[in-house]
Amino acid sequence: MYTASKAALATFVLALAATAAVRAQGVNGSISATATVQSPITVTGAQNLGFGNVFPGVAKTVAYSDATNAGQFSVTGQASTPVTYSFSLPTNLTSSGNNLPIGSWTGYVNTTSSTSGGSAITPSATPAGATLSAGGALYLFVGGTVTPPSNLPAGSYTGTVTLTVAY
Amino acid sequence: MKSLRFAFVLTAAVALPLVGQRPITVTGVRSLAFGTLLPGVPTIVARTDAAKSGQFTINGPHDSQAQVTFTLPAVLTGPGGATLPLTFGGSDAGYSQSQNIGSQIGFDPKQPFLITFSGQGRGSVFLGGTARPGLTQRAGSYTAIITLNVATFP
Repeated sequence: MYTASKAALATFVLALAATAAVRAQGVNGSISATATVQSPITVTGAQNLGFGNVFPGVAKTVAYSDATNAGQFSVTGQASTPVTYSFSLPTNLTSSGNNLPIGSWTGYVNTTSSTSGGSAITPSATPAGATLSAGGALYLFVGGTVTPPSNLPAGSYTGTVTLTVAY
Repeated sequence: MKSLRFAFVLTAAVALPLVGQRPITVTGVRSLAFGTLLPGVPTIVARTDAAKSGQFTINGPHDSQAQVTFTLPAVLTGPGGATLPLTFGGSDAGYSQSQNIGSQIGFDPKQPFLITFSGQGRGSVFLGGTARPGLTQRAGSYTAIITLNVATFP
């Protein structure tokens, strides 16, 4: 009987412990929070489009492949990532209110700083798409043709070509 | 004969509470995914976003109550130990007894919240938040761990 009482007491204690364990149950689970940060895009005007000296009534063309006079932009961003690009192009070069019309534009896009191995583009037909290189680079080249009228006053004419690139 | 009787009593006393109460379990179902971010541009994920919000499934005794608390990171950690600040608003967490993301009760994930399990002993907790990359945030993948703690009342 004495042994039975001890056993009963032990049973009671065990039952209490088990009940307490159930009631005090606390559990947890986890998930991850994730994000991927892309490199920001930078656009640099690397070289101006220079038509040099032009004469009234004589059109002049600078090819996009002209290493000295073609306009050049370099772009950096997230490696191997698609982007869209667009040009804002002037209709004229101006000087003191006088206009020197730009008749046409040509261009080239490449993942290396070269006018071979890439693709010819029409700057006036953008936006268009391209993909940054594995190193996160892109290069764009711009050429054009100016058509100075025969009565164009002498002077220094300028305009601004803007390239916009976005993911 | 006595030994047999004691063994029976002991087994019954321990087993009864375990059989009577369904154990609580917490399972991480879906990560809180901010996707692709740009430096300087905060990105918000709503707790109702079925693709990007974090989700936990909780099981427990049917119709009973439990208290949930989050262990929330202040930052995501990325390449070279770079950190990306993470914030949680006062209604960025939600509880759904029906486990329907469209039927949540919002609550502050920074505060304890009392839930009631469904008649089937289930429920889901959803979590949104805001990632705030800096202007010079280093590119790369960032991660952190979010833990949901569930406790029953004594």
